[in-house]
Amino acid sequence: MPGNTRFKKVEEFKTLMDSKEILKLEGTALKIRRNILRLIRAGEAGHAGGALSAVEVVTALYFNLMKIDPGNPKWPQRDRFVLSAGHKCLVLYAALAERGFFDASILDTYGALDSPIPGHPNMHKLPGIESNTGALGHGLSIAGGMALGLRMEKSQSRVFVLMGDGELAEGSNWEAAAAASMHKIDNILVFVDRNRLQISGPTIDVMSYEPLDERWRSFGWSVRIIDGHDFEAILGNAREIPFEKGKPSVIIADTIKSKGLSFAERKVNYHYWKATPEEMEQAERDLDLIEKRLKEKTERITGNE
Amino acid sequence: MNELKDPRKTFGEAVIEAAEKNPNVIVLSADSSSGSGLGAFPSLFPERHFEFGIMEQGVIGFASGLATTGKIPVFAAIAPFVTARPFEMFRNDLGYMNQNVKVVGRCAGLTYDQLGSTHHSIDDIAIIRTIPGVTVINPGDPVTIKKAVHAMIDHVGPCYMKIGNFKMPVLYPEDVNFSLGKGIVIKDGHDVALIGTGTVLSKAVTAAGLLEELGISVRLIDIHTIKPLDRELILSAARETGKIVTVEEHFTAGGLGSAVAELCSQEHPVKMKMIGIGDRYASNGPYEELLRKYGLQPDQITETVIKFLNNK
Repeated sequence: MPGNTRFKKVEEFKTLMDSKEILKLEGTALKIRRNILRLIRAGEAGHAGGALSAVEVVTALYFNLMKIDPGNPKWPQRDRFVLSAGHKCLVLYAALAERGFFDASILDTYGALDSPIPGHPNMHKLPGIESNTGALGHGLSIAGGMALGLRMEKSQSRVFVLMGDGELAEGSNWEAAAAASMHKIDNILVFVDRNRLQISGPTIDVMSYEPLDERWRSFGWSVRIIDGHDFEAILGNAREIPFEKGKPSVIIADTIKSKGLSFAERKVNYHYWKATPEEMEQAERDLDLIEKRLKEKTERITGNE
Repeated sequence: MNELKDPRKTFGEAVIEAAEKNPNVIVLSADSSSGSGLGAFPSLFPERHFEFGIMEQGVIGFASGLATTGKIPVFAAIAPFVTARPFEMFRNDLGYMNQNVKVVGRCAGLTYDQLGSTHHSIDDIAIIRTIPGVTVINPGDPVTIKKAVHAMIDHVGPCYMKIGNFKMPVLYPEDVNFSLGKGIVIKDGHDVALIGTGTVLSKAVTAAGLLEELGISVRLIDIHTIKPLDRELILSAARETGKIVTVEEHFTAGGLGSAVAELCSQEHPVKMKMIGIGDRYASNGPYEELLRKYGLQPDQITETVIKFLNNK
């Protein structure tokens, strides 16, 4: 069926995949969720929902997929990451801190005057940030320009982009999508964090761009759809780009908004979370439970060796 | 009469010269290169010209990304479509990110005369100069257009330059001293400072001649760079003449006159008169007639200056 782009689970990859690496990434994802809570505690509020839905994708990028050097954030051969949905910055700050781009104590300045981690990222204030985003619908053009420039330099570097699904209503994205395809920019991989919610409600009710895969494909992109919380699926699909030579690649990552917080998952009013003390306590308990399950899983897997 | 030259052709030739010298210079087009005097660029530098079609917002973003890799993108198109339309991209992707991109608005001011207000650009200086770190250039003759192109490419940082449409008189010798941010005193004088910019600089030059014939000593200044403004030159004119008249093919709100007033009102208040377009959509029609409608012809500038000096 022509519309079906759900990428087959890469069975051969799964067997090759080091399950320990997956476990490790799951552990890192947990730390990043804890860092997001730390940021929310510092700032008393923040765009948590879309940050939490993107944790696995961002973790996979910063801890497996991207060629980067935290000690040399401007290393010319690095891969680039553009957070088009700039309001998801909590997950980026959390990941950069965990990866060692800066001291984690900076996370405690969230919300403070002159903090290097504003509510939308600023490349001039923090190492590891590649672009100033926040106004939606800018990132894909910027990333397309980066990819084109890198290609002109015959660089092997790739450009990764994280977009929101609500963001796709901005028309400028589709300008960029058309241009990337027209110029055969195939050193770019976009993740659309399809958590299906935006401020006013379900994305399909606010301004639907479904079927997303067909839209992207009609703009000349090579499209895959995955479970955006499944590391095997993320790594298995994102490790090699382009999906098709001469075409830009996009992964529609199906995710759960506010993933990990029992009281907030799939709830529209946690797009921007002003945390009550009770909610924060519950959030800690939720992450403790994830940690407990992860330990059990680890014992199960390493015990089998 | 001075020799007339096509501003777009002049601009395009200068970009090609700059591209020959600097391999990082690239050109982005929103279906706009051929109309910007850059028709020869794609065949001369096929690997360095990128056509995007009519998507100015997208082009500004791509330019920003390209600049992160060391390229110097030049993006020229009809002025309102590279300023007002993609303003947020200009502000965030070029200004806020401080990218080394050169945006050029052509057929600016009222020079797309009969095409009407959608195609006029008489607000571009006002909006772009609010963006911190952006250099705003408005050269007033073909010689300085060419020099401005080279200066803008040599300058590291985001720039906006505007040029007109119709052939314009050569006002300067080829060896005129041109630096971004430094105005040019075309003629010294002490009764009044007449400050012009861009496409109507030549009108101010003619007006200054008419005023001299009437015995009025005019200090004629070309402010080709609106931002950063040549503070010292303008303040010395304020101190030494005590009276300033600005001439621009732009809204009086937010343009050259505003910039001069912002400076003088705080540093050395003097009497001022701003000649430009008021709070209205400009009409359509033949260019010279439009200029007359808005008081920008030399005899009208002369009359306005005389009334101003006579306190009327």
